[in-house]
Amino acid sequence: MADSGSRTLRIREFPIEENPPKNYLNHERGLMSWLFTLDHKRIGLMYLASIVIAFFLGGMLAVGLRTELWTPAGTFIDADTYNHIFTLHGVIMVFLFIIPSIPAALGNIFLPIMLGAKDVAFPRLNLASFWVYSLGAVFALYSIAHGGVDTGWTFYTPYSTETGSAVISMTLGAFIMGFSSIMTGVNFIATIHKMRSPGMSWGRMPLFLWSLYATSIIQVLATPVLGITLLLLVMERALGIGIFDPALGGDPVLYQHFFWFYSHPAVYIMIVPAFGIISELITTFSRKVIFGYWAIALSSLAIAFIGFLVWGHHMFVSGQSELSSVVFSFLTFFVGIPTGIKVLNWVTTLYRGSISLKTPMLYAMIFLILFTIGGVTGIMLGALSVNVHLHDTYYVVAHFHYVMMGGTVFAFLGGLHYWWPKIFGKMYNEFWAKVSAVILFIAFNVTFLPQFVMGSQGMPRRYFNYIEEFQVMHQISTVGSWMLGVGFIIMAIYLVHSLYKGEKAPSNPWGGRTLEWMTASPPIHHNFEHTPVIIHGPYDHHKPIREFRLGIAGSDNGHGHHTNGDGAHTEEVESGDQTGSR
Amino acid sequence: MANNSGAAEKEAHLAHHFVDSEQQFEASKLGMWVFLVTEILFFGGLFVAYIVYRSWHPDLFEQAAMTLDTTLGAVNTGVLIVSSLTIVLAVRAAQINDQRQQLIMLGSTIALAITFMVVKYFEYASKFEAGMLPAGLYTYEGIEHELAPVFYSIYYMLTGLHGIHVIIGIGLISWLMVNAAKGTYHSGYFTPIEIVALYWHLVDIIWIFLFPLLYLIE
Amino acid sequence: MSLHHVLPLKTMIGTAVALFVLTILTVAVYYIDFPDPLNTIVALGIATVKAALVCMFFMGLYWDTKFNTLVLLSSLLFFLIMIGIILLDTLFRDAPFQIYG
Ligand code: HEM
Ligand SMILES: [Cu+2]
Repeated sequence: MADSGSRTLRIREFPIEENPPKNYLNHERGLMSWLFTLDHKRIGLMYLASIVIAFFLGGMLAVGLRTELWTPAGTFIDADTYNHIFTLHGVIMVFLFIIPSIPAALGNIFLPIMLGAKDVAFPRLNLASFWVYSLGAVFALYSIAHGGVDTGWTFYTPYSTETGSAVISMTLGAFIMGFSSIMTGVNFIATIHKMRSPGMSWGRMPLFLWSLYATSIIQVLATPVLGITLLLLVMERALGIGIFDPALGGDPVLYQHFFWFYSHPAVYIMIVPAFGIISELITTFSRKVIFGYWAIALSSLAIAFIGFLVWGHHMFVSGQSELSSVVFSFLTFFVGIPTGIKVLNWVTTLYRGSISLKTPMLYAMIFLILFTIGGVTGIMLGALSVNVHLHDTYYVVAHFHYVMMGGTVFAFLGGLHYWWPKIFGKMYNEFWAKVSAVILFIAFNVTFLPQFVMGSQGMPRRYFNYIEEFQVMHQISTVGSWMLGVGFIIMAIYLVHSLYKGEKAPSNPWGGRTLEWMTASPPIHHNFEHTPVIIHGPYDHHKPIREFRLGIAGSDNGHGHHTNGDGAHTEEVESGDQTGSR
Repeated sequence: MANNSGAAEKEAHLAHHFVDSEQQFEASKLGMWVFLVTEILFFGGLFVAYIVYRSWHPDLFEQAAMTLDTTLGAVNTGVLIVSSLTIVLAVRAAQINDQRQQLIMLGSTIALAITFMVVKYFEYASKFEAGMLPAGLYTYEGIEHELAPVFYSIYYMLTGLHGIHVIIGIGLISWLMVNAAKGTYHSGYFTPIEIVALYWHLVDIIWIFLFPLLYLIE
Repeated sequence: MSLHHVLPLKTMIGTAVALFVLTILTVAVYYIDFPDPLNTIVALGIATVKAALVCMFFMGLYWDTKFNTLVLLSSLLFFLIMIGIILLDTLFRDAPFQIYG
């Protein structure tokens, strides 16, 4: 909306109707009302269900891998199957779970609400993105049924052009899922730019939205390159076009450039939305304005940008020129700066806050610990000389699990618990939620800390057997993975239980200040009965809460009419930072 | 799900979640520009492959470019330029509520796009016949360079992907014509024409670069 | 170009004519022999001007909000980052990096 004009709006407080009988979950019924819905909340929920299934599948595979590693020789899986399983684990976790996890599921549900909009800018594109994602998943499943893939999730040439497995269908699946990711990105950028409600200036946008904005930018700029890379790989296999295949005069290192030009930024597609959730959790549960709003907001953009300059740190031993290795190593250290800025701002926000350690906050604390370990080990890996020793060892495996699982997954869980009452209108059992969080935290470290040690001692990744010296540590790690399984089972039980037996959730169980807490739990179909008007920052906990529930006064504003469902839209809303009142 | 507010007749196109037509138009256009960015980077990957291989083997590119027909390339450049003009005039026709001109201009754009593809077809056919195929299938013997097949791979990937975009464009513009015939577009609402036109111009721009990069190397 | 801006006919036709002239120019230049890198630079320079004309007038960036231009330019920036850094590798594959001699 235009920032022009400072016309005075007539506003008033809109009280929240607690637990309205009609909400987005039940206002229409039947399978079709879900599959063809244009409601961002329902689409988000379908995404949520899909990624939970993906996470379950990927998790089962992981436990299988860890169990195989119980003994130094083959335990119950042969080497070839092992290669298939770790590839599947990686592909499922990266493309089917973690990339869509926070943006497409939680982001979809909350982005419009937090902006005060009725929906994303392009609801049909949003639905299409979900269907395209599902189509990609079908391709992935097809590949599993037709021979599987044993290249690793990175599909490096020349192995990927030679192996007998179903590389074409799998890469096509990833290619298709890339489109879905692009669609989400385009949609979110347009939504954030054009769909803000009156008074929602950039400086009043919740930090979760800033992080989704930065993420969308990365998705839009990086994913097309993955698309062309995978397309070239498919052509390489199908026709032998010789661009990446050394047997035909091609250059496999060029493939790695293409791949990592996407995939390093992609790790920020995974982590930046997690940063956004952490910002929300930390302020809400400290009852305090966030420290360094702009520093956090802009560092997301800085990370998005710098993330495009460092991809070659995955290629130090690939045979790229020494000059580029040195440059990449140098640039890699810069990524740590905006990331460090964020962590310090979060910690400073905690200082003298009135902290309440509810489950979501517990996850935020876990995130701070684990992500910091993951990030710092990343910097260590970025040092060229150190990397030559550690490349392709368990040290790298531990590093990226600390950032991807310790960072993104734990932030996702924090967000899931934070918004669970809003999404489903039910409270979960706080005691069991905390028990499971603590188990997951301990289990995670039991699983992955030993991998740092093994890795630095030379245990290579992607092997199904190993020398006996490593057995103790592998066994500790395997026990940890089983404990992780237990933690997740507990979580599944109490979450499902809450859906049936949980207490009804109030509209604002945690005392948040952002707009999603200013509507019912679960929200009504059009999010708000009124057009919200924002006059305070998103974390102004010192201001009275009723000043966060304002909307345009008058009855002709959008979807205020129960009687005819879709109301008229004739009024002109000129937004501007000055709303004239207070 | 109702998408039309039905508030006033001329607002029938306004989706329920927008405040007004202006917001809808601006949002759609921004969305399209962002999409064009993804298109540019999609082709960008191929241009990178092109640049890397050309920097490695300048002599190969010079020799191989000789096998491409400059005249046909130039003709197709002209064809696309005119088609860009016709589609922009279709937008203008909608802005001034001239339905007949809208249809004429959209129709001409399709005709020009088809012309482009026909020319491409003849180009491809003569290349195929001579055995200048992508690397795995390459049989031509006129070029003394062991990486000659890779040049043709890059050539076919670039022009082929561009051709696919032209075909998609033909589909989109045909869809516009169907709607235009029903009188869907007028000065208050022409977002789809505007959006497809943006796409079509991008297809033109890509060719503007492909032409000198492939046909005019010496 | 807002919803209410009608595209000026003369400008559109003028743009098309300019594009034609530049196309002829680029073919003509092809037959002139410049010293080596200059050829490519001229050809790409002309193509860039043509693309800019299309963007400004056909695509309406000239009248549009500046943000859309920024969006377009960002794609160029990131393309340049990609090719620029990749060339740091591909052009220097055999050159050992020496600081200490
Ligand atoms: C402080 C920021 C970070 C730095 C400096 C960093 C650095 C690195 C380096 C140098 C490697 C290459 C190790 C090798 O293969 O030899 C690596 C691998 C990896 N990193 Fe990070 N990283 C950072 C953050 C992240 C984040 C946030 C994620 C994901 C959420 C991530 C995911 C990965 C993955 C998946 C790999 C392994 C890829 C593979 O080979 O399969 N990293 N990181
Ligand atoms: Cu990286």
